[in-house]
Amino acid sequence: MITVEHLKKEFTYYKKMTGIKGSLHNVFHRESLTKEAVRDISFSVEKGEMIGFLGPNGAGKTTTLKMLSGILYPTGGRIEVDGFVPWERKNEFKRRISIVMGQKNQLWWDLPASDSFYLNKCIFGVDDWAYRDIVTELSELLDVKELLNVQVRRLSLGERMKMEILAALIHRPDILFLDEPTIGLDILSQKKIRDFLKIYNEQWKTTVIITSHYMADIEALCDRAVIINQGVLVYDGKLGEVNQLLGKRKLLSVKTSAAVEAGDWAAFGSVREVSDAGAVLEVPQEKVREVLAVILSGMPVEDFTVTEIPIEESIARFYQKSG
Amino acid sequence: MSSYRCVFLMGVEQALEYRVSFFLSMLSAVFPIIIQTTMWNYLYRHSDAAAVFGYQQGEILLYTLLATIVSQLVGTGFEWEMNSDIKMGGLNKYLIRPVGYKGYQFFRFLGQKIPRIMVIGPVMAVIIGVAFWQGLPASPGRTAAFLVSLILGMLLNFSVFYCIGLLAFWLTDVDKLFGTISIVLTVVSGGVFPLDIFGGVVETLVNLLPFGYTTQFPVNIINGRFGWARMGVGFAFQAGWILVFVCLGEAMWRRGIRRYAAVGG
Repeated sequence: MITVEHLKKEFTYYKKMTGIKGSLHNVFHRESLTKEAVRDISFSVEKGEMIGFLGPNGAGKTTTLKMLSGILYPTGGRIEVDGFVPWERKNEFKRRISIVMGQKNQLWWDLPASDSFYLNKCIFGVDDWAYRDIVTELSELLDVKELLNVQVRRLSLGERMKMEILAALIHRPDILFLDEPTIGLDILSQKKIRDFLKIYNEQWKTTVIITSHYMADIEALCDRAVIINQGVLVYDGKLGEVNQLLGKRKLLSVKTSAAVEAGDWAAFGSVREVSDAGAVLEVPQEKVREVLAVILSGMPVEDFTVTEIPIEESIARFYQKSG
Repeated sequence: MSSYRCVFLMGVEQALEYRVSFFLSMLSAVFPIIIQTTMWNYLYRHSDAAAVFGYQQGEILLYTLLATIVSQLVGTGFEWEMNSDIKMGGLNKYLIRPVGYKGYQFFRFLGQKIPRIMVIGPVMAVIIGVAFWQGLPASPGRTAAFLVSLILGMLLNFSVFYCIGLLAFWLTDVDKLFGTISIVLTVVSGGVFPLDIFGGVVETLVNLLPFGYTTQFPVNIINGRFGWARMGVGFAFQAGWILVFVCLGEAMWRRGIRRYAAVGG
């Protein structure tokens, strides 16, 4: 369905010193720099597959998706999506794909989302009955039926994201690209969107590529992960193996009302930071509950949080292990 | 329903969404009229201005009123959105859908104009009616020619500002110029006062350049200044300039979009 071979993308930009002086300097002399956003990436995706694109910020995830959807031309390499070269931007190609970008919106801000859906219906030439069916079905699944006639600007971020996804599916694309669809959303909305994508993919056998820097998104949805870092593909395979490689560990930050001996923390896991006000511990995921129970009962705890290890760090570690 | 019709209707809906801003923008057209009326009255009272400008006092007031209205009708605003689309990557959503960006902007522009036309249209009809009663040589033929020139003026102004909007592909801070460009173009279009009061070179320039054909030309048809022969030449210029800017816009779009796809949005 999708084949990517030796994909490359370079951006040229100009260096600018700060301030007016720098701007004036730029008028007469411009130093051009090249950034290699994507350097030689190859992979392929089967029909109906849902793969996760994982990587830190600036790894080249979005750039790759933009080339797959035809927004950007690559500097080198080849892409074939359902038999089409994306950047030729044939209408036939556009009817088969859809892209949702977490930080961009396609809905008309001042009007209810249903108006934007209807516009997409017209643009893609969807039949009346098919249109009614899909809006009813998807708005129920996404739990936004009551909000269809509310102006987009009055919706919360999570509600708006659900509407964006719905708008992107009006024409029943065969291939769906999702760029950080859960970024900035609360946990409940994140879960709702994940559940929806899971059901949708199973029902409609849509090929999906999803990028995220939340491991949880990819875990919930994909069997296969592609990890890229600094424009290079560093892993392509089963998600389970990634977990083993990355190690499923959580960060536990504890704030205490009184100082605790530094040595006392070491019993719970590896200590990352320690001070009089608390500590940050790294704990295997399956032991989090246990460790937390002991800490809560035995220490003067004021507050605590459990977070994922940032993907940037996991990948750095992944490198150390594999390299 | 065709997609452009849908965009058009959504444009109407959008313009109606902000009622207060809509009426304020209509109101903002009233102030220049008051200022200008006062100014011209003063000038005519204290000098033999008619001899200087070649306009009778009544004529210049009629011109000012009609020109303000025509500028409101042909005025744009979509260049701001084009700028942010190009700068912030909003263009992506058009590139991935089977729809043309220019058509999309054009039909939205038209849609957003409708409520304005519905308010301004009757006002303009009243002004022309009063002027006719005062002895303006209006006829059905002249009125029809005026309406045609108004529509062509809208097309021309759209095409000019579409090109200005496309500059965002190359110029980083073009939006900071939009305010200035819009004011300068309103003046050189004859949207504030008739440019033929300068006579000579200026008048020739106005006749050759595209801008006068968005505002001054339609007004000069309905106020009876232009005879049929002048109108014919004017229409030829108007159509010619539309063609030039449509082609320029196409060429700019093709180059710009190639650049956009290379540097990313």
